[in-house]
Amino acid sequence: MHLFDRLFEQSSRSLASRTSRRGLIAMLAQALTGAALLPLLPVDRGSRAHAADAKAGKAGPEDCEYWKYCAIDGFLCACCGGTATSCPPGTGSSPITWVGTCRNPGDGRDYIVSYNDCCGKASCGTCDCNRNEREKPLYRPSRNNDLNWCMANANASYHCTVSVIVGVAEK
Amino acid sequence: MQLSARWVAALCFALVSQSGFAAAATPPPLPPERLTQEVLPARGPHWVYVVDYAFDNEIDSRVYLYDADAHRRLGQIDAGFLPGLALSPDRTVSAVATTYFARGGHGARTDVVEFTDTATLTTTREIVLPPKRLHAVPTPFNVAYSSDGRFLYVSYVTPAASFGVLDPARGTVLGEIDTAGCMLVIPSGPNRVSSLCESGRLLTVTLDAQGHEAARSMSAPFFDADRDPVFVQGIATARGFAFLSFLGQVHEVDLTGAEPVFAPPWSLLGPADHDWRPGGAQPGAIHRALGKLFVPMHRGGEGTHKDGGSELWLYDLASHGRVARWPLAAVGLKPVVAVEVSQDAAPVVFAATEDSDLAIIDAASGRIRHVTKRVCQTPWQLLTP
Repeated sequence: MHLFDRLFEQSSRSLASRTSRRGLIAMLAQALTGAALLPLLPVDRGSRAHAADAKAGKAGPEDCEYWKYCAIDGFLCACCGGTATSCPPGTGSSPITWVGTCRNPGDGRDYIVSYNDCCGKASCGTCDCNRNEREKPLYRPSRNNDLNWCMANANASYHCTVSVIVGVAEK
Repeated sequence: MQLSARWVAALCFALVSQSGFAAAATPPPLPPERLTQEVLPARGPHWVYVVDYAFDNEIDSRVYLYDADAHRRLGQIDAGFLPGLALSPDRTVSAVATTYFARGGHGARTDVVEFTDTATLTTTREIVLPPKRLHAVPTPFNVAYSSDGRFLYVSYVTPAASFGVLDPARGTVLGEIDTAGCMLVIPSGPNRVSSLCESGRLLTVTLDAQGHEAARSMSAPFFDADRDPVFVQGIATARGFAFLSFLGQVHEVDLTGAEPVFAPPWSLLGPADHDWRPGGAQPGAIHRALGKLFVPMHRGGEGTHKDGGSELWLYDLASHGRVARWPLAAVGLKPVVAVEVSQDAAPVVFAATEDSDLAIIDAASGRIRHVTKRVCQTPWQLLTP
């Protein structure tokens, strides 16, 4: 296992073992609200997602077929005043996320992508996008796109979702 | 010929009446009307609650009560943000677990269970929760009653997983129970709650009379979350719940005893069905007395588990045999994303489509009885009262 992957897995498993009804993670998450990315992301150790096709290659950040959106479920922030990697003005990013593993048709590599929700305003309501490659049910939250990942934010309403490359997935 | 002449005469008379004499004989004005308050009729056999997640404006979800015989909406229950819905065992009360923000899309968060009288659709009381309620898509297990109605269980995720135990009669929160990462509240008997774990096991917590934890146990794994996870939208059976897997396995869990008992899984697929899969937001319904299972099925591969079914497949639970296939496009329906069946002796299947139509289907023949176009914005959960 790649060191990068191992680091994330240990981090997430350790966190999982320490989570309690006291809401430790919720407090941590709220304290870190605003950070776009945290090294708390579990990784895909399974096989690859298959977002690579001609359609994905031509699609841009405002298109649901864009390669980085292979496991997204929500409104694309790029249509809501943000970009594929930035939250719209006046919203706050969720420090806790789910991840996908998506293939970039431009270079043929698989990337681990973090899907952070942008929070604190009502739903954007534009560019609804639901793709579910390697997506898992609620009981595997790190791979689940049905949760409101704004849940631990001080302003917990959901607005839209970004996709941020974390790194190249292990071969 | 003589008949035609009479018709001509009648037509002439009508025209004259309309044009010549109408002005002189103006009809009397409409009488004053009296504003009244509609009340629900006695519950019909084919009523259904349609949970509208209102995905484009999630802070404003609703639950609609719909009569499939009259083909009309009967009323509404407000449901806030990412709600859960449960009905009391005697069906007299609905409980909506939800979240409100003080200023609409923002402001202070209040998690709450709101109770509504199902005979009047008036909200009768509420219980305010700690701000930990599960914010997720609909499942039958976001909120659930014990079999005697003494307790109400509410799923919490912060993302640490736990659940709240409420006393609906007194309107209080009795406590909170850590579930060690396992999710949702699957009720059984008067005092047991099971949760689905990433390891493919069921955690079962037994409560004492005060609603506090008395014991817990972890089952053996009954599914593989890596290879073939189960949908969390379990379907009530006569003795517990059935969980469908992404690849079409049926896992029936008997929850009548102190420990869950898992029947050997069986497949929805025949030898020629390898690329067919269940899918959607509510991917199955069971008529418990008749022992029939209805599943929206589609052809697809990895990542299609939320796709609606292009056909409804009907199974006999005793024999595990497929009884029928009902293609939906042939009758003008888009793929079905949520399915439910009434529990009466002449049942109908309620099928919500991906373009938000609600089809009422005769459960015996598959005949479409009625389609209500765009019943709401996003009908992702159906629940029979």
